[in-house]
Amino acid sequence: MSRIGNIPSRSARPGRTGAFHALARILEVWRPYYGRLGFGLLLSALAALSGFALMWNAGLSVTSLALGAGIAFGLMRLFGGGRIALRYAERLFAHDAMFRALAALRVWFFRHLAQGAAAGLGFRRAGDLLNRLVGDIELLDNLYLRIAVPALGFLIALPVLVYVALQESASLGLALGILFIVAGCVIPLLAAKRSARRSQSILHAESSLRVAALDLATGLREARAFSGETLLAERITGEEARLHEAQLVQAQAMAQAGALSYLLGQAALVMILLGLVGFPGVTVSLVSGVALIFLTGTIFESVGTLSRTSVLAGRVGQAAERVVAIAEEDQSALEPGCAAPEAGDLVLHDVTYRWDPKRSPVLEELSLTIRAGEHVALIGPSGAGKSSLAALILKVARPEKGEILFGGHDIATLDTASLRGKIGWLSQSTHLFADTIRNNLLLGRDDVADALLWDALEKAEMAETVQALPEGLDSWVGEGGALLSGGQGRRIALARTLLQDAPIMVLDEPATGLDSATERAFLGTLGRSMRGRTVILIAHRLTGVEKLDRIWRLEEGRAVPLPV
Amino acid sequence: MSGVDKKLVRAWVRQQAGPAKRAALPVVISGALGTLIGIGQAWCLAAIIGNVLVARIFPDLAPQATTHTAIGLIAAFAALSVLRALSICVQELFAARAGIVARARLRRSVLDSVIDIGPALLRRQHSAEIASLLVDRIEVLDGYFARWLPASMTWMVFPALVLIAVFVVDPRAALILAICGALVPVSQAVFGIGAALASRNQFLAMVRLQARFLDRIRGVATIVLANATDREAEALSRSADDLRRRTMKILRVAFLSSAAIDIAMVAAIILIVLTQGHFVHLNGLAAPSIHPSPHLTGTVFALFLVPEFFAPFRGLALAYQDRAHAAGAAEAMEGLNSGLAAPEGEIAQERETPVLVVNVRAENLSYRWKDHGPLILDGIDFAVAPDDILLLDGPSGAGKSTLIELLLGFIQPVSGRILFNDQDIATMRGRDIARHLAWIGQKPVLFAGTLRDNLIFARPDATEDELQRAIEAAAIDSFLPLLPDGLETAIGEGGFGLSGGQAQRIAIARAYLKDAPLLLLDEPTAHLDPQTEHEIIASLRSLSQGRTVILSSHSKTMKALATMSLSLGSDGDGEART
Repeated sequence: MSRIGNIPSRSARPGRTGAFHALARILEVWRPYYGRLGFGLLLSALAALSGFALMWNAGLSVTSLALGAGIAFGLMRLFGGGRIALRYAERLFAHDAMFRALAALRVWFFRHLAQGAAAGLGFRRAGDLLNRLVGDIELLDNLYLRIAVPALGFLIALPVLVYVALQESASLGLALGILFIVAGCVIPLLAAKRSARRSQSILHAESSLRVAALDLATGLREARAFSGETLLAERITGEEARLHEAQLVQAQAMAQAGALSYLLGQAALVMILLGLVGFPGVTVSLVSGVALIFLTGTIFESVGTLSRTSVLAGRVGQAAERVVAIAEEDQSALEPGCAAPEAGDLVLHDVTYRWDPKRSPVLEELSLTIRAGEHVALIGPSGAGKSSLAALILKVARPEKGEILFGGHDIATLDTASLRGKIGWLSQSTHLFADTIRNNLLLGRDDVADALLWDALEKAEMAETVQALPEGLDSWVGEGGALLSGGQGRRIALARTLLQDAPIMVLDEPATGLDSATERAFLGTLGRSMRGRTVILIAHRLTGVEKLDRIWRLEEGRAVPLPV
Repeated sequence: MSGVDKKLVRAWVRQQAGPAKRAALPVVISGALGTLIGIGQAWCLAAIIGNVLVARIFPDLAPQATTHTAIGLIAAFAALSVLRALSICVQELFAARAGIVARARLRRSVLDSVIDIGPALLRRQHSAEIASLLVDRIEVLDGYFARWLPASMTWMVFPALVLIAVFVVDPRAALILAICGALVPVSQAVFGIGAALASRNQFLAMVRLQARFLDRIRGVATIVLANATDREAEALSRSADDLRRRTMKILRVAFLSSAAIDIAMVAAIILIVLTQGHFVHLNGLAAPSIHPSPHLTGTVFALFLVPEFFAPFRGLALAYQDRAHAAGAAEAMEGLNSGLAAPEGEIAQERETPVLVVNVRAENLSYRWKDHGPLILDGIDFAVAPDDILLLDGPSGAGKSTLIELLLGFIQPVSGRILFNDQDIATMRGRDIARHLAWIGQKPVLFAGTLRDNLIFARPDATEDELQRAIEAAAIDSFLPLLPDGLETAIGEGGFGLSGGQAQRIAIARAYLKDAPLLLLDEPTAHLDPQTEHEIIASLRSLSQGRTVILSSHSKTMKALATMSLSLGSDGDGEART
């Protein structure tokens, strides 16, 4: 219904090679867990074998008894007890190993996502990324728990079944072997192949449902104020209908695969029954025949799950692709470089830059020099390229032409993390996390004394306000700082930037949302508190209280020096 | 689960039970058919084996007839197997459909609640939590509707069917089954309590992980540029590990309870075989002329039915965490509905007639963000009429945005009231309040989509002319030519591709499109350069003609627009001047 949000999310091309490549990448990430995963497989193999032994033994016992022969009950109890204990241990261990590997994959995903997202999410949807981190990665547990483990079970059961049946009759062994291969191998493969085509839609629908739900949740204020609730709710129900339709198709495929696998197991039983009644060619003895019935039932049941979950194989492959796709987007931040100098002049030389190849350049052959320790201002109307300039200095964007030097080094040759460590940037879109004021200031650091936090808040003209809060530094700021006023949130972000203690400070409209008295107080003290550091102030206009060494006006992509 | 939870769950289950149980009925019926067929299959198998035994031990007793009976039984077994496969298939599909229908119904009702409560919800919950309530909380209930409900309706019936069948053939085996079966519910009750608690905690851990990750994703640039990626990755790793440990807790209980069923099952198998041995031994001492087959047939029949007997218990045990999820959902939905606005009876009838003018009056208005916290607004009074522009003045944090949120009806005052045309807005529905006003907020939410989509969001039926007028009034036309695809330019979530000032102008255009008699402007020009601000103010001046305007701003030129002002903050609380 709505046209909002119809931008297709960037997903990797579907395809078999893509999925295999993605799975290979993921297996690489899981390498530290190979030991645990392997041990889980071993336990599952032992549990399966003890299960077969139990059923074989039960079958033997009951018939032997009927015939008046004695049997070993101790063995049966052993297999019974062993099977239960092993099955419990196997499930516990295999799941734990898998979840450890999934947790590691989540961290890996986040790291790679972060590397490519210095400029923000761009056209990627936060909800879609969330779905990849939560839903898609969760789906990958099927790969091990419901595909690899049962497949191993199949590989173990096949020789057991064929060997036992061969003892009785060659043709019965052959027949059971063929039926078992079809049930445990052919059907799962066919089901996987068939589902691969459809799985794209179910993953997509799930992600779109989450995106739609997030749009409503985030936009509740706009929705209420502009009566857009119906529009957003309709999108949710629409995506839900698509998801449920895809789920129904998947349930159908699963039920069909399961039923087929069941029928093959029953066919195997019929073969043995025919042998029991003395059908020529497949005749079996009574004792082994009954035992074989028990064994066959268990063995075919164990591969039944494989047929069902192989319906998920396509989804698993696509989930792997979606997870890996993020990691392979932009890895330029990883390029090695030398460490950035402690301080130095910033020189832009003939820099040309545009956000989008379709748009005209924002900066055109711009040149300017900011000496170490200078306090300068860049002013100009919105869209003049002030923020682009900051993005270029921080290597968030690359110039189309020209070069940027820091302390005499081209920043393209400098290590990105090291360079960013030297520059504190208060951008216009600085994010406040749903956390306490303290954690928003620290961003995960634990080596900063409270006195330094208060000092930064003081410089940002925010200390008094925080002191007045009942919980002080531990006050919760809400989602995106929603529990603070706009100006207060801005000052917390400013204090965070000041706390970074970097030799260069880029402050993009630090006074937005401040009343003019606070604004003047902040700008007035900035010169004193930032002495010795380079300060680049980006603003629409100046108030007159700033103490500056140089001022440029950005005009038509160039920097025009203004008198101080 | 505490007593309150239980009551909650029971109430919620009652409310859900009617339609959901009707939907579960076909699942139950096909399951019952499946069980009956299973009994038939076991009988065929046992009879064939008994027959063969007779034939092998007493080869002289009409072997031809026995073989014929056996072949007939095999055919019957094959036919029953086909029926069983069908019943499994049908049962699964019915279960899937029941789950889908129930989830769609439930999601609709949660959606209505969320919309009904509206923006106030964002004060209490992270948007990721709200979204997770709408997505995961409900998707996870699939198990409750598709598995738990049918299982809970049948877990006594199906084993009883099996038990009767076994009793008829071999009462001793039936007794063993009954005793072993009786132990299962006891162990389940023990494990179940732990499972419910663990599952609740696990879901909460999952939601926390989601909220944390979403928040970090939205601020990913801030994290990267502060070189905090490693630290955040570590924190995420801790959250993910916490989720693993909580998940394992649930699984441990689930595996234990399934192991308990395994033990009961193996015990039943061993005991049945053992007791049969006893019989055979006695018979062995007696004359061999006694017909030996009934015991074997009966025992084998009972043995084949052991898994069938325990399957419903297993189903119930597997679905136990689904029930816990239902408890969690009931709790979350209760949490959603608590603290709702005015009760139904006080809500005035929604009027369909368009609102043309709004006189706003506030009487003794007070507000605090937290119970027992300081009053951020204390006894505010003012009245604004059409053509008036009221300026909310005061330092940052004085409560200007709070007052605007009160006027929007997003939050409710702790005391005092707001009247629109002499009607208390506490007695109006949120949507009815919204019909009176247009709003420009400090942080406009932009959706991923085209620029046009984001504009007409405010009025989907706007004509091209109206759209054009709004674009001019909000000075969007000054940057439109710079965009590659004009109005069709794609913008990302949160306004990627637009500058802060450009995003602000979209919010302004939305307000123009809405064309309401009351304008609430919360720092509308905060991100604009002086030139653009000048243009916007000129057009806001013409927009405010004949309308009631309440505005907060730090900009001097913007303040000059006001015809009256209300000073907020510590020094001049709620003092209105004209």
